[in-house]
Amino acid sequence: MSKKERLVVIGNGMAGARFVEELVTRGGADLYDIVMFGQEPHGNYNRILLSSVLAGCHKAEDTLINDLSWYEERGIKLYSGVKAGWIDRMGQSVYASGGISEPYDKLVIATGSTPFLPPIDNMYDEDGFMREGVFSFRTLEDCLAMIGHAASARRVVVIGGGLLGLEAARGLLERGLEIHIAHLGDYLMNSQLDAQAGAMLKQTLENMGLNVHLDKLAESITPPFADAPVGGLKFKDGEELECEMIVIAAGVRPNIDLARQAGLHVQHGIVIQDDLSCRNDRNIYAIGECAQHRGKLFGLVAPLWEQARILAEQLSGENPEASFRGVKVSTKLKVLGVDLAVMGDKDPQTDDDEQVHYSEPGRGVYKRLIVRNGRLAGAILLGDGLTSPPVLQAFDRGELLPDNRASLLFPGTDGAARIDVAELPDTAQVCNCNGVTKGRLIRVCQEGNATLEAACAATRAGTGCGACKPQVKAIVDFEANRVASQAATAISVIGGKKVEFPTVASEGMPRTSQAVGTGSS
Amino acid sequence: MLSTDASGETATHCPYCAFQCGMRLSGPREAAVVAGDADFPVNKGALCIKGWTAAGALAHPDRLLKPLVRNAAGELVPATWDEALGRVAEALQKTRTNFGADAVGVFGGGSLTNEKAYLLGKFARVALGTANIDYNGRFCMSSAAAAGIRALGIDRGLPFPLEDIASAEVVLLSGANVAETMPPIMQYFEAQRANGGVLIVSDPRRTATASLADLHLRLTPGTDAVLANGLLHLLIRDDLIDHDYIRDRTEGFERVRQVAATYWPERVERITGIPEAELLQAARLLGRASAAMILTGRGTEQQAQGVTNVLSFINLALALGKVGRPNSGYGCLTGQGNGQGGREHGQKADQLPGYRLIADPAARLHISAVWDFPETELPGPGKSAYELLDSLGPDGGIRFLLVLGSNVVVSAPHGNNIRQRLESLDFLVVSDFFLSETAQLADVVLPSAQWAEEEGTMTNLEGRVIRRHRAFAPPDGVLTDLELMERLALRLGRERWFTYSNTQAVFDELRAASAGGAADYSGITYEKIDASQGVFWPCPSLDHPGTPRLFAESFPTSSGKARFHPVTHRPSAEEPDEEFPLYLTTGRVLAQYQSGTQTRRITELEEMAPDPLAEINPATAERHGVSDGDMLTLETRRGAMKVRARLSPGIRPDTVFAPFHWPNEQSANLLTNPALDPTSRMPEFKVCAVKIVRE
Repeated sequence: MSKKERLVVIGNGMAGARFVEELVTRGGADLYDIVMFGQEPHGNYNRILLSSVLAGCHKAEDTLINDLSWYEERGIKLYSGVKAGWIDRMGQSVYASGGISEPYDKLVIATGSTPFLPPIDNMYDEDGFMREGVFSFRTLEDCLAMIGHAASARRVVVIGGGLLGLEAARGLLERGLEIHIAHLGDYLMNSQLDAQAGAMLKQTLENMGLNVHLDKLAESITPPFADAPVGGLKFKDGEELECEMIVIAAGVRPNIDLARQAGLHVQHGIVIQDDLSCRNDRNIYAIGECAQHRGKLFGLVAPLWEQARILAEQLSGENPEASFRGVKVSTKLKVLGVDLAVMGDKDPQTDDDEQVHYSEPGRGVYKRLIVRNGRLAGAILLGDGLTSPPVLQAFDRGELLPDNRASLLFPGTDGAARIDVAELPDTAQVCNCNGVTKGRLIRVCQEGNATLEAACAATRAGTGCGACKPQVKAIVDFEANRVASQAATAISVIGGKKVEFPTVASEGMPRTSQAVGTGSS
Repeated sequence: MLSTDASGETATHCPYCAFQCGMRLSGPREAAVVAGDADFPVNKGALCIKGWTAAGALAHPDRLLKPLVRNAAGELVPATWDEALGRVAEALQKTRTNFGADAVGVFGGGSLTNEKAYLLGKFARVALGTANIDYNGRFCMSSAAAAGIRALGIDRGLPFPLEDIASAEVVLLSGANVAETMPPIMQYFEAQRANGGVLIVSDPRRTATASLADLHLRLTPGTDAVLANGLLHLLIRDDLIDHDYIRDRTEGFERVRQVAATYWPERVERITGIPEAELLQAARLLGRASAAMILTGRGTEQQAQGVTNVLSFINLALALGKVGRPNSGYGCLTGQGNGQGGREHGQKADQLPGYRLIADPAARLHISAVWDFPETELPGPGKSAYELLDSLGPDGGIRFLLVLGSNVVVSAPHGNNIRQRLESLDFLVVSDFFLSETAQLADVVLPSAQWAEEEGTMTNLEGRVIRRHRAFAPPDGVLTDLELMERLALRLGRERWFTYSNTQAVFDELRAASAGGAADYSGITYEKIDASQGVFWPCPSLDHPGTPRLFAESFPTSSGKARFHPVTHRPSAEEPDEEFPLYLTTGRVLAQYQSGTQTRRITELEEMAPDPLAEINPATAERHGVSDGDMLTLETRRGAMKVRARLSPGIRPDTVFAPFHWPNEQSANLLTNPALDPTSRMPEFKVCAVKIVRE
């Protein structure tokens, strides 16, 4: 057996750990000695679930995807809680404090991103640490610290009305706090929504008890009242909100310093090619939030995992040609009580783009499609959770949409409407198991089998799965009523004379069956 | 020996599905009369139309009454048994001499009685000396079987009697359309509902079963494991799992819990297409029920990830703490009449009787002793069903094939390939009672007895061993398959191992062979079955009453605990793309059975379902300019099928459904993908990519 190559992965988050897992399931542990650096002091957890942890819906331990034993059992050397210090590309090694040096044949950078902290006065204490009571919302530690602080806080201001800010706000609302969202834009989630959807979302959130403030640029944290470390937040427009807690969710910045110092080609992120390798070093790859592909950065999990899978296919040899061509981006707001899915383009790109709108502010329902060449280029679906799966799937797959776009926005009832037996034609099949029509049932009723049991016995209806019995009963009753009302009419006309009803020649099946055919044996 | 009681009726069982309805037969063969057996505790008198009309095949004019052999002109012409068996024996000898014993293949079926399935396995190993025997049950039950053994230590379709369904608070039916495939079972779901129970059905179509459900999860084909993992995620999140049960009765949960963390609702919704709200509703219904049951069918199992699909549902049942609890647990709904017994007694490539593994040295010694046949001469594991069929002909190495009770031309995936493979054989022998599409390709066709003309046992979907009684002697010139094997063994000089006084003698040997195995029949006798309306295996001694319910105390695994298995889903082997933009899923309709060899010959059934209908969502149909009733061609990378459209708002717009009961250009299996599950070797019947072409 040839000697294994050395693979070093910097980053043990959603992208890095996923990549290693995908690689290992493809036999990667037999091809590589795998070393990982993870800045956070544990295994890998699902960051997506943190807002659910914040809301108290999810236990922190249930977010764990790979515990430390997972790495051990697969022979993966994980530096947990260790930040990679620098990359020596000439010497093909990664260094970290404590005298750690790990040589590599292949290096994967998955350093993710860091919360963007806008310049706000008084945000840091005298020692340069973020002031107590002020939080960013990125890691499990952030989340647990917020939960701890929330127990003693009364009012919180969340800076940022994007996806993460709204999820944090909703989570904290579950903890009984008074929540204020301060958003810089003139409507919520302005990177994903249009103004109308943003306004309706604001209404929906306000109905839940959240307070939304728009066009707010945070300026300074005001000094403590009494003995709390944070007293409030002052905005540029002069307004001030009293609070004991501030959460900053104003976006993220990719972690690219390591790559920049190593001389890799870096713009907003680490510039990668379709094979996910860095432009100027084919032994180094970057995936996840730190990577920039065809000018785009990705912050959602689906494209990250797609990159992780593709790189694993490549490095495991399963598909050396595997390449990343970008993905269609869609997301759902994970806020309890709000159904919001957004995907693709936010605005039409050309005059030929077709827009389909539906708006029902009273119920907080808003749906908008952007259709290009018969396919979905973008959509906003607010307030109707049942519509989003088919629309999301049509978007993901680039399906041709139905000509009647409404059928996508209003999936309808599946034809499960109730059937009125009076309206059924005689040829309608009532018992599917035994192929019995309404006409046959009426005939056997007229032949004297006018109870449910007798009609079933005479036709075999209901003797298979039995599901049609209510319908058979309804038909028997319907026929009985018809006879009764006819009789009543007849009696009233003829006056006491016996009335005979025409009977239909018997074609009914006996209860048992005759074999068909005339075998020669 | 006929088994007619004082009333002139014979108590036997329906020839079709694994529900094995009790029925009573009377009258002469030519005008036999069927009645539901109200005393049989499974169907309680109910029959579906297939059962009611089953006697129609007995004296059907198409019935084969003489052997057929292919003459010099290439036509099948009547022959004597002597001539036909002579041809078979000669071809066998030639194949074995020229190409070795493994160049002979045997293909069995899930409709064969336990005795026949058992003897066929023995015949292959002892009379023919070939490793290459498998059966069509590989296409039905193998995924659930493999998953059951891995997780629970045993594969018995339902580990509890059907009556438990009626008392389950919540039942999740995953990929099973029982209202059409085994209608009389619905009485148990009706009773369940009358008791206040809730039924959840997951299926890409609003089937007859789904439309009776309280909640229909209309999932994307091939995403079953995503659904199960997603439900588990919600159960963990909302703390609706049974921690005590997980600690005391299972192992391996930790890793499964971690995998479940990657199946959060938004992701699961996006992959399965099931709205989050419905996922949550399903999880809460299951999690809050004190008695909950999860049952899988072919929809979940007939995939190239069928085994892991089933494991993901077993994980769910274990996390809920329901396996082995009253009116609860996991079960698989077996399909074919003897799909259960047929997979227990050596008809599978890797098995010996009693659910033993042929590679297990102890199992080999046991069987060698029972058979009085040298262990060293017993072959090892052979090829699985599709691989066996794909190996027919000079390239594959199997030159001679014997088929019993299976119509693979219609029922195996990638039908064009199967037909070519069969045509490339040196010699094909088919035993059947009609000239099936497969028999039409044979060199020798042997007429066999039908269900009402033979004795034997079947094992129904509950693991209940029941008796098939003979109402009529076979027509003159027709042999039972047991007799066929005896006569053929004689010609091969192997009669020492194939001489039985009657069917019961075969069963008695089966009992001995199964003794000590997982599927232990040793304590089951014909008399005991008759006295108690069937006996549930395992039944290890004569004074043992049988085992209706498994797992109450422990699991038959080495640790006594059930095992969790982490499951990560994969995309299906062939996902829709630009060229083939829709999913195709295949399945069954009520009035037909399997390849239709029998049911397509019954007038009443033909009238109900004369031709296949492709179910298409109206929105999809509109986009393709298709109206209800239009003739279409469905096309995949492997073949094309002619079919009429039936617009159905209940099917997902991205999916087309086609039933597979018809031959030739109406065969859905011309379309299906033979991608195999890595463990069970189950083909991916339920998912491939298709396009609609208008005529």
